Amino acid sequence: MKLEIQNVSKRYSKEKYGLRDFSITLDKGILGLLGPNGAGKSTLLKMIATVTKPTDGMLLLNKNNIVKDPNYMRKQLGFLPQDFGVYPNLNAIEFLSYIAAMKGVGGSNLKARVEQLLEGLNLIESAHKPIGTYSGGMKQRVGIAQALLNQPKIVIFDEPTVGLDPEERVRFRNLISDLANESIVILSSHIVSDIDTIADTIAIMKNGALICTGNPEEIIKHIEGKVYETTIAKESLSEFKNIHLVVSTARKNGALLIRYISENAAPNSISCAPNLEDAYLFRTKSE
Amino acid sequence: MNSFITIIKYDYLQRTRSYGFLITLCISLAVGYSFVPEPNANYSTIQIGGYIGVYNSAWFGYVTAIMTSVFLSLIGFYLVNSGIKTDVETKVGQIMSTTAIKNLTYLLAKTWSNFLVLLTIACLVFLMSVLLFFLYHDTGYSLEIGQFITPYLLITVPSLFLVSSLALVSEVVFGRFSVLQNISFFFLFGVLMVYALPKTNSGFMLDAFGSKIVTHQMEATVKGIIGSNENMGLNIGYVIGNSEENKRFEFNGVNFPTLFIVSRILWSLLGLLLVVSITPFFHRFDFRKSLSLKNPKAIEVPPKTTNSLTLSNLPTTQIDYGVLTLLKTEFLLLIRNGKKWMWFLNLMGMAFLGFLSMEIAHQLVLPILWFLQVSRLSELTSKEFSNEVHYFSFSSYRPITRLLFSQILAASLLLMVLATPLLIRFAFAGDFIAMTSVILGAIGIVLFAAVLGMLSKGKKLFEVLFFMISYAYINAIPFLDYFGGMNHDLPYVLKMSFIVLGLSTIGLLTRKYQLRQ
Repeated sequence: MKLEIQNVSKRYSKEKYGLRDFSITLDKGILGLLGPNGAGKSTLLKMIATVTKPTDGMLLLNKNNIVKDPNYMRKQLGFLPQDFGVYPNLNAIEFLSYIAAMKGVGGSNLKARVEQLLEGLNLIESAHKPIGTYSGGMKQRVGIAQALLNQPKIVIFDEPTVGLDPEERVRFRNLISDLANESIVILSSHIVSDIDTIADTIAIMKNGALICTGNPEEIIKHIEGKVYETTIAKESLSEFKNIHLVVSTARKNGALLIRYISENAAPNSISCAPNLEDAYLFRTKSE
Repeated sequence: MNSFITIIKYDYLQRTRSYGFLITLCISLAVGYSFVPEPNANYSTIQIGGYIGVYNSAWFGYVTAIMTSVFLSLIGFYLVNSGIKTDVETKVGQIMSTTAIKNLTYLLAKTWSNFLVLLTIACLVFLMSVLLFFLYHDTGYSLEIGQFITPYLLITVPSLFLVSSLALVSEVVFGRFSVLQNISFFFLFGVLMVYALPKTNSGFMLDAFGSKIVTHQMEATVKGIIGSNENMGLNIGYVIGNSEENKRFEFNGVNFPTLFIVSRILWSLLGLLLVVSITPFFHRFDFRKSLSLKNPKAIEVPPKTTNSLTLSNLPTTQIDYGVLTLLKTEFLLLIRNGKKWMWFLNLMGMAFLGFLSMEIAHQLVLPILWFLQVSRLSELTSKEFSNEVHYFSFSSYRPITRLLFSQILAASLLLMVLATPLLIRFAFAGDFIAMTSVILGAIGIVLFAAVLGMLSKGKKLFEVLFFMISYAYINAIPFLDYFGGMNHDLPYVLKMSFIVLGLSTIGLLTRKYQLRQ
């Protein structure tokens, strides 16, 4: 299983790009896609999911051009879009059976698979109620279930943890780790903690372009020795921000505990071990 | 007051920048162009016992004002009857409900915004009528702008305001069940149009759309010419036949009595009064409350369990590219759309198709029964967008040959199931032309709904046009007979087959284009 994205662009007008010259090759495992709003993550995911087509470049799945033959991808795709809806008059079982039919999935085991998916995602109690009565988190879990209906070989999750409570987020992370044993999983988020512990590869995007890629350790290594913590007076924050890239602030004994990234440490600073969030902010804010 | 005007302004801007508005505007201008037929045209719009007016300012002004009043009241309702619904769908309503704005202020602002949207279209039709006057007025007649402004001001504007209020009222009363709004207005409009009022000043006061005083004046002028007091055959609508063959009379407008002018103000005030009176019933975007009253179980939160999902333990599925499940679910979605009790009306309609005379069943019951399905049909291919399911649909396996085909087949089957009693009767009578016409009509109207849903990504356009088609058909315009109610021959069947084929091709190409984009 190999997905090759070669110099892909999506151009809306002469000067406006949604995605620009993006290339990456993926094998089994989890790709974590990070980037601020408008970075082009959803555009890229929609292209891989065959919902939209690139204006330039190629997308190859096992050497098959999925731009020309989208059905090759669709047969083995599980896709959870960022903004998706449901038919409120159908219950979860009916809706999942409908999506399964759209995907061309059936057989005698389908009913059992749907029920077990709903059970595993804690929806079985409400499975016979119209989806229109579900909470946001429950709808999100229906969305996750539909992506897993067809033993997908490529799974795309665009902001999958929206609406999930902390316990559900943990279980979702376990689920995709499990999924990555057999499939290519592409996970997009701007919540770094959803990605850092599970992604094999991280790709950081900004303004429609790929600005860095590698495993989490490699990306973090780039800012080793540049992350510090210090305490400053509240009034100095604005001035401090002009000089250093502030990652976080916390109140401590009437002052502010600042975590920041800089080539040169401020007085009374302590050097800290960098994490992925530091690296992400450094890449997206300063480059 | 300032915030009231601001709400109206931005609501108006939001609506007039919509695709639906643009389409309605284009249709209105196209229809408005036909209100005063070109001198060599083979139809007339207002004809009194074989007479039409000479093309002077009064004829242009009054005819276009009446036609705009009727036409825009008819389709304008469908254009503006979703102002609150849009706020529900965009969730702007939730924000609105947390502000200090009063329900009455909000509803009145929506009413005025409705009115301004319709008024914009009316103004453009008005300008076009003046332009048409310059294009083909009869020689010897100059432009008298008062003959244009007066009828628009006294006939068109008040009726548009009334319709704007009715649209708002029906939205509040029927909530999110647009099918009830559509059907109730269909019947209300029919009643208001055909209800025979005494031809006196007090009778004209009760005319909601204000056109009867003008047609009466036209009739009186023709009666004066031929010296007869007998009732003249008055035709409003599109009457086929060369207008050059009609005799001509000079119409010089109407001296509107003061009582009539007061009545227009009263009709507008009635609209406002209706809005005020339904204000206590406005939901203010609190749907959970009304849901819990009906079905407390519907909002119960299920007990928290902590099952885990192990993918390797899940049963494996097989490839199945059949369309049966899709067809079944599409059918289910159609059936569950709308209120359950609407099915009682459907069953009654089916019973009438079985027991009433074949002619009445075919010509009257069938189009009404099918019109009752307007909300089901209008959402056929637009529900993917309105429910945001299009990402799933468009990334599904062979979305055109499987999904679109299932949608069209399910809806066609639904219409055919509803027409079953009539189809059986035709089969027993050996009338296969009528049978084929009904089947082609079902497929044709479904394809029409599918194509318009795809093109507009919404349901409005089809609702407006289906309403017009049904209304025009009931008013015996054979051109819009889509199911063989008035036409009963092989050429008609062939013509319908070509239309079905054409619509299928357009539908196919449209969806292909959308998928490519």
